[in-house]
Amino acid sequence: MRDILRQNNRALRHEIEQLQRTLNEARNKIPEELKAYSDRIVTDCEKLHQACVQNLQDLDLELDDLLKDILSNTQFVTRAFHFLNKHQVSPILRARESDRLCLKLLRWLHAEHEKTKDIPVALRDDEFSIWPIEPTIYFMPCTAQRGLLYLPLFFHEFGHLLYACHRVEMNELVRELQEAIADLLSPAIQRNDEYTQEQERSRNLIVETWYEWAQEIFCDAVGFVVGGSSFAYAFSMYLRMLGRGEYNVSREKLAHRSHPVTWIRIQLMANRGRQMGYEALASDLEETWSRIADAMGIHEDHDGFFDPAFVPAIQQKVNDMLTEAAPHEVQEAEAASPDLDSALNSPIALLNMAWQKFWDSPADYRAWEQQAIETFLGKR
Amino acid sequence: MNPQWLAVQSFQNSQDLLAAINTLSIHTKLELAGRSDAKRAKTAVKAKADLLSFLEELEDMVQRAEKVDANPMLGIDPRRRQLVKSFIAAKRNFRLHSVVFRDKLSYATKLFDSAKPTDKHEIVLFLEELRTLLEEHLENDTERVLGEI
Repeated sequence: MRDILRQNNRALRHEIEQLQRTLNEARNKIPEELKAYSDRIVTDCEKLHQACVQNLQDLDLELDDLLKDILSNTQFVTRAFHFLNKHQVSPILRARESDRLCLKLLRWLHAEHEKTKDIPVALRDDEFSIWPIEPTIYFMPCTAQRGLLYLPLFFHEFGHLLYACHRVEMNELVRELQEAIADLLSPAIQRNDEYTQEQERSRNLIVETWYEWAQEIFCDAVGFVVGGSSFAYAFSMYLRMLGRGEYNVSREKLAHRSHPVTWIRIQLMANRGRQMGYEALASDLEETWSRIADAMGIHEDHDGFFDPAFVPAIQQKVNDMLTEAAPHEVQEAEAASPDLDSALNSPIALLNMAWQKFWDSPADYRAWEQQAIETFLGKR
Repeated sequence: MNPQWLAVQSFQNSQDLLAAINTLSIHTKLELAGRSDAKRAKTAVKAKADLLSFLEELEDMVQRAEKVDANPMLGIDPRRRQLVKSFIAAKRNFRLHSVVFRDKLSYATKLFDSAKPTDKHEIVLFLEELRTLLEEHLENDTERVLGEI
């Protein structure tokens, strides 16, 4: 066993050293906005190297009692290295000049919050998502990365990181929401028969599913609070043409689904929009989604997983979660800027202006966007 | 299916805990062999704190889960729900022999602070059983996060 462990640790140490050399070469070519992330990965790589060296030193102690621990430690380093090698180094090794736009926004977003200001960020190509760990990786489809319109969707993803930073308190609030939904689903009269037991199983399934849904609804609220109407427009536009699944999903698929049906999220967003004074936007969202649903012949039915009666409890708990997480709140000046110069004072103002330009003058939008991005990145 | 970020979070969490368990286990065994060193003792302090914080949280979740039994576990993410279920099942199936698992998890605090060799042997057994549970739990996340060749 000792020989096997020596072989693996030596091989692992060699691979880590190879990666360290590759990272050192790549670091000279990365944009400034990726430096903090790159520094963190280099540090993590060095820690794994040290762990390998420690394993080899522990093997030299010739204590049989330690072999199980060294085996587990070798497996730990192997997994950590594979994770680093497979997922965490690619934003550095594949860095592009065009990453700067997203990275600049993400760094600003992290810097705005006390809990995230020291967490480095990186970007990878894929469907919108986040790995809410340290360092954080955000995912965005490559075409969306080059424009302004879909950048507000990062604010939803940032919500997942805020949730992770406040996990204990957030879980407690979600537990309270789940209890409230369980109460709303409870029958007035309880019998002790098979039908009642079936109803209870169904109720438990719904309540359990709402753990993940509550987090998604919270993240939507973070998106709205941070980005204002730019987030709502980006969200609606990005998802409304993806097909029937955004409007209606079968009962079997609803159970333990990680995200609520998008139409439910739109309704909750519109409801929140009204609370925040975005009356016209709220009506526009509701009408647009209802018209598309009508055109597909879809009637709203979420099989008990959502009911308008849930809304007050959901919004109340999401408000509490927002109080706990305290994200940046869109300011009046950021919601509507008179010109590009003033919009450049804040990324939020720029994104809201982008959507305004897009609605007002779609034909001129792309040229304006190009100029706005170059100015934002300091190229003009 | 749970989103990948949940698997990534769970993967990293289990990895951190396994690192803490291994650090503490090696440190305790070296102490028992009379070969402990200052550098490792320092890292063992942090490992102990990380582990106790996890055990406190796990105990709370297990107690709530055992109380409600068939009802859903509320305010807990799906991966931790699975860990709690595995933990309860292992206890009921008599797979766990450490007194910490038979008693309260907070009993570990008392053991960690003890200098008695018998307690240190108990810590070694407890850490080994906890490690097995976590390594089993990690399998799913590893498959999801790292894929298969």
